[in-house]
Amino acid sequence: MATIQLKSDAIFELLQRFLETDEGIAVKNKINLVYQFNLAPEKIGKDEVSYTIDLKKGEVIKGPYQGGKTDATFTLRDEDFVKLADGKLNPQGVLKVKGSLSAAQKFTPDIFPKRPKL
Amino acid sequence: MAMRELVTGGAACAVPGSSSSSNPFGALANALIGSSSKTQERLKEIPSSTTTATEPPFYQDATAEGRLRGLPGAEFDHSFSHHPTPQGSEFLRGFRTADQNGLADAWDEIQRSGPPPPPPALLDHRIPPPQLQPTLDGPPQRVLSNFLHSFVGTSHGGIPFRPSPLPVLGLSEGDKQCIRDRSSIMARHFFADKSEDFINAQVNALLSSLDIDGDMRAKGPLPGRFRELEDYWNESQGALRPGPPQADGWVAEFSQHRIDHGDPNAWAHSFEQQHGANGWASEFEQEQRLVSAADQMGGANISNLAAREQTRMLAHTLAQNNDPKFQNSKFLQFVSKMSRGELIIDDNQVKPAALSSPGDWATEYQQQYTGGPSWADEYARDQLSHGPDQWAKEFATEREQSGPVDDQWVNEFSKLHVDDWADEFGRQVGEGAFGDGSADSWADAYDEYLNEQVVAKQKSDASRGVYVFSDMNPYVGHPNPLKEGQELFRKGLLSEAVLALEAEVLKNPDNAEGWRLLGIAHAENDDDQQAIAAMMRAHEADPTNLEVLLALGVSHTNELEQAAALKYLYGWLRHHQKYGTLATPELSDSLYYADVARLFNEAAQMSPEDADVHIVLGVLYNLSREYDKAIASFQTALKLKPQDYSLWNKLGATQANSVQSADAILAYQQALDLKPNYVRAWANMGISYANQVFTSASLFTAPSLVPSLASGMYEDSIRYYVRALAMNPKADNAWQYLRISLSCASRNDMLGACDSRNLDLIMLMGECMVLLTPRITAFGALAEGYPDFGKNLHGQEVGKSNMVYWS
Repeated sequence: MATIQLKSDAIFELLQRFLETDEGIAVKNKINLVYQFNLAPEKIGKDEVSYTIDLKKGEVIKGPYQGGKTDATFTLRDEDFVKLADGKLNPQGVLKVKGSLSAAQKFTPDIFPKRPKL
Repeated sequence: MAMRELVTGGAACAVPGSSSSSNPFGALANALIGSSSKTQERLKEIPSSTTTATEPPFYQDATAEGRLRGLPGAEFDHSFSHHPTPQGSEFLRGFRTADQNGLADAWDEIQRSGPPPPPPALLDHRIPPPQLQPTLDGPPQRVLSNFLHSFVGTSHGGIPFRPSPLPVLGLSEGDKQCIRDRSSIMARHFFADKSEDFINAQVNALLSSLDIDGDMRAKGPLPGRFRELEDYWNESQGALRPGPPQADGWVAEFSQHRIDHGDPNAWAHSFEQQHGANGWASEFEQEQRLVSAADQMGGANISNLAAREQTRMLAHTLAQNNDPKFQNSKFLQFVSKMSRGELIIDDNQVKPAALSSPGDWATEYQQQYTGGPSWADEYARDQLSHGPDQWAKEFATEREQSGPVDDQWVNEFSKLHVDDWADEFGRQVGEGAFGDGSADSWADAYDEYLNEQVVAKQKSDASRGVYVFSDMNPYVGHPNPLKEGQELFRKGLLSEAVLALEAEVLKNPDNAEGWRLLGIAHAENDDDQQAIAAMMRAHEADPTNLEVLLALGVSHTNELEQAAALKYLYGWLRHHQKYGTLATPELSDSLYYADVARLFNEAAQMSPEDADVHIVLGVLYNLSREYDKAIASFQTALKLKPQDYSLWNKLGATQANSVQSADAILAYQQALDLKPNYVRAWANMGISYANQVFTSASLFTAPSLVPSLASGMYEDSIRYYVRALAMNPKADNAWQYLRISLSCASRNDMLGACDSRNLDLIMLMGECMVLLTPRITAFGALAEGYPDFGKNLHGQEVGKSNMVYWS
């Protein structure tokens, strides 16, 4: 099966680079939790692609979390994730959350580095 | 009056042809900012001063130099203030043209020499100054400026303002209004550390000695709105005067309540006053309560009445809150309308009550009191005998006149899903957020929600690729809007150019060049959705235009739409005279990134001197996130086209994507040197500052200093976002980023202004940020052993509120 191209791929890659920088390490140390994102290209529940944002280790992995239970798991549409990361969307209503609510609340759009435009 | 105008220009009392630098309050604010040598040192570290130094050609107004220095690039402001209002009395004109520099200089002198010694500038006029109080005679403008100076002077000692008697100044109503508004707002910033009572006392002292009515009307509805109606009513009253006195009194009563026109309660109220307090109204109300308690009436009515009763109580509670911001909030208006029965909730939808609601009410009343002769009949007879038809007509016309203003937001509101709103409300109440102090933050949140909905609607149009035209376009009907648009674009007035070009494409919908330039203007204005929509139309009109194809490729890359971006970039190659042969038509059905990149590399080998090929390659590498290759491509292109500002921005954005913020800032700087009004580069600059917060902070070992340093970086980013937004208030991304930076910089006080998109207020508060917050940039503070680190200009320790944390 051909891998599904997500708009969010670019953002996760940017986040991965960001987490390697000093500012990224500061974010990691501050939050120190593990999140998983299930992203649906079109409709929630269909062809979802998972990403793990491990802010304990400071890394982004394509795929579900292998190290046990995440602190919070978010499920949303690919498009909404881009808007969320760009700070353009209020997560309420488009986002399904599983896990600890307080952990979920610590994950804010501020975490994503902003994308400059060409 | 827009608040930014307070400092940067004068709406109410602008003088035709005057630049904003001649605003007395702006000059005073500058004098204040400029008066502290420490502030100046700090300001030198702001990147904007570099811009300033390297861009003499754009500097047309030397007196504007000090103005708004805290905001990068603000020196270009004057180009935007070209809509002066014709008002403004001869007097203020004189005041304006009076030597501005002299004014600021005089103020500087006062500041440097400390309060007691007399200001030398005043001595020049051979008038002995009485202590702090400056002289108060001479020509009116001198008197007024000295007077205002002495008012500002009290901000330093925190001493109450002692007004001295003034000669008659002959201020016009407009002048008074202007002084009243400005002094009230400025005072709140001068005396930010003082109590509200103190501020009011100060302002009142100032106003009363200037013989200005202190009634700010800030808490009431906007005064201008009903002026027309008032005239109208005075007229109609005159017409009715010959009628029986009873009707006359009734009309007068109504006219007193004109603000609540259309409000059945007010109507009832006036009726009640005529027929005694124990009239039908209270009886009816009691009856209603009984009935609803007994739960004997129809469900819908009960819930509406109950809702009205509740909202009436809520409105009463809310009305106790004196905050003018809150008083003017849409939420309070909403609650008031609910309580007055102008809005009803029906099937979870808010609906405006029908225009005839008093009649409905009457019918309802009649149904209950079918026994006796109903008051409505009586009243109707009464009306007939007094010829009230005239009144009714007038009332109807008036409703029509005022309808658009009032009903606009109602319509807006009724589009929303009320249950979301209700849930939110319930949650907030549950959390106890609805206490005294937080009531207005709640109202803010509600306003924000409304704004979001409106924006979301526009966005959804735009995201469907539909171009969204501006509502009011002064260029419609212009004889040659394309030429005008090109001229405006060349001058860098992007938002104006957008309007002119919209007029062009409305006139000639198939003008590819009009659409193309419109798309470019939107892209430079940092609005990719509109840029894409315009470029699509350009593409329809001229499918082989290479610039359009490249622009579409770039915009789709920005929006992370890889397939679409590839399609247009490949189209560029296919339609290129020289490289078209490389493209194989069958490829266009199933494009793979690798194929397209390979073809472009071949093209680059064919003609390595063609900058455009390298530009497209750079975009392609951005698409595949091979940033190092992209940077190399753009750098090659820049060697061939060093004057291409958009290319410098592309390089900067790529470097930023590759986490090279410092390099990115240099590239953006180049772009802005070439095109000072390049909104996208300003916004990108802000992003780079926001993203490099911790890089810079981590240069220093003392961890306790990190938060303040970071805060400084955020404030730099805020400056750039604000700058971008000042040029294009519709730049959506910049608003979002500004919000994040504000919250990261713990400027929660400004979030409300950000959410309601009140840039004027943000800029005004930004002025104070420069005044009051220690401005430390990465290399300044520790290297020079900054003595006042952690203190503001008053020597007070800066509390935790100025610290930044990731949250």
